[in-house]
Amino acid sequence: MIQKIESRELFTLDCQGGTLSGTYHVPAQGLVGSNRTGILLLSGFPMPRTAHGDAAVHWATSFAQLGYPSFRVDLPGVGDSRGNVPAELLEYTSAGGYERVAAELVGQIVARYELAGVVILGQCAGAISAIFAAAISEECRGLILLDPPFNLPPAVRPKTVKRALFHWTTKSRIGGLLSDVYDQFKKLSLQLRKNAPPENANFPLLKRWKHIASAGLPILLLNAPEPKASDNKPRAGKFDYRRHILDLAGSRSRVEARVVSGANHTFSNPAGKATIREHVAQWMPKFFPFERSVKAAQTFTQEAQLNDQTEFSNHQSILAPVDAAMGVKS
Amino acid sequence: MAVQPYSSTNLPERAGYFPASGAHLYTVLHQVEKPVARMLLAGSFASERHYSFDPWVRWARYLAERGVEVLRFDYRGVGESEGVFEEVSFQQWSDDLVLLATWLQAQSPDLPLVLNGLEIGALLAGKAFDSGIGDVLLLWSPPANANLALRPTLLRWVVADQLFKFGDDRRPATAYIRQMEEGSAIEVEGYRWTAKLWRESFEVVLPSALEDETHAREAYEKPVRLVKLGKEAIPLVKGGPAVADIPRDFSTLFAKNWSWLSAALALDAGGIRDSKN
Repeated sequence: MIQKIESRELFTLDCQGGTLSGTYHVPAQGLVGSNRTGILLLSGFPMPRTAHGDAAVHWATSFAQLGYPSFRVDLPGVGDSRGNVPAELLEYTSAGGYERVAAELVGQIVARYELAGVVILGQCAGAISAIFAAAISEECRGLILLDPPFNLPPAVRPKTVKRALFHWTTKSRIGGLLSDVYDQFKKLSLQLRKNAPPENANFPLLKRWKHIASAGLPILLLNAPEPKASDNKPRAGKFDYRRHILDLAGSRSRVEARVVSGANHTFSNPAGKATIREHVAQWMPKFFPFERSVKAAQTFTQEAQLNDQTEFSNHQSILAPVDAAMGVKS
Repeated sequence: MAVQPYSSTNLPERAGYFPASGAHLYTVLHQVEKPVARMLLAGSFASERHYSFDPWVRWARYLAERGVEVLRFDYRGVGESEGVFEEVSFQQWSDDLVLLATWLQAQSPDLPLVLNGLEIGALLAGKAFDSGIGDVLLLWSPPANANLALRPTLLRWVVADQLFKFGDDRRPATAYIRQMEEGSAIEVEGYRWTAKLWRESFEVVLPSALEDETHAREAYEKPVRLVKLGKEAIPLVKGGPAVADIPRDFSTLFAKNWSWLSAALALDAGGIRDSKN
């Protein structure tokens, strides 16, 4: 068995008392060493570092082709990594349990691979850890956040009846109509609360977000369309976290926020995989250019278009309208 | 908060790429200094890998702590292994398993080799065992054929994908099946299922001798155990929410299987081989 093949290398890091397993995607030939900004990918809960549908493998491979050294790492208690972490991993993650370990991870990667800094790409729970880590890490130079949840998970799982009712509303047209009526009640309730964040908002996370975004950290925020959402607005009665965090970020922020049409929450479907790759290919050279990055991005985009045509030509989702810009603050 | 019951011994785990024809396979060897047996774990398939990953790794560590050196791997085109999923055939996955089993056996031919498979992994392990590879076989929830493992995955994906879709936007699972039967590919949880994969899945069947445990033991004259995993084994097997936030306790499941395995290997409870062997 070998630890290194042409485009990938396996590594372990001792971090905060645990041994973490990771995969390093080596930049394409001719681009090795020319770029000193890496990308660290953190998967959503409770996925190993390949992420749902191996999406992270797909992205890391393409980022490396673009010239950005890319790293996928299993946090303690997940995937191949070891470490003593609480059994309630989702609660732990939401509370910023991985803040220090992710920040130290960034530092170790920067030191080991002689980088100037790292951009963290996190999906769902991985995005939570990314935000917490960015707030305390000097080497974190930017964030790519895929569907970060700014609300806390419910302390108690919904009862069976409630779950059954939910499923009924998703299947039945009458149930759907009743669900719409319920949404309008919630909308009224939200207005009465003057659109204040709900009680289950993750306030420590929002605080970290405000800290890093208002300080001008480059952030690419990509969301999948929410169920029953329209015109880039959330479902009726649901608090608009996207608008809220853009407001919190303030006028000096460098946040680009977009909704990715056709993607699902995990971004593992063809539309999600392809669009994330293309967004990052456009966004990274803008904030983290390096010698030959423009040429690499052009080549990459041409190849990506060709690959898309061959790989996904019979997927209707890829033909869906391109993203709607939610708002760009710079 | 309770702490996850992770291994306290921290035995070495060596991840690597195993060269196979046309691709490198990702493997993790749970090393043991003086192993009493070696075991190849053939896990569940494609998207199921991610859901079952945590208990699968815990099982490997559990065994290593008891003196069994374990090799687990990702199928070609899945997870950390190289390869393009939609271009791989069941035959290649089967050949890869045999390649790894042969390598593991060659590390110390005197030690017994155990094959342990889960769902489609159980089918592939069963086929390898039927061809004479391995000394002990432990199958978890083997389906009669691979298609019977693919169908529940497809159904779950269809349900999740169609939340909040109504009327013509909703498509039953049969519509996707028809699409594959007509020669088109579909995407299921991030993997591209081709018409070829679907067609071949009917042909990958459990060897007839393995349809019944007693019959299998007589036919092979080797220890064989077929276990149908129930709800207690979620998320090793399908069922319940795709993403469970409730910590699971697998100690009973592992202990039961270890009890059988240690007897099959003639080991005492601590994992030491009986002197008569």
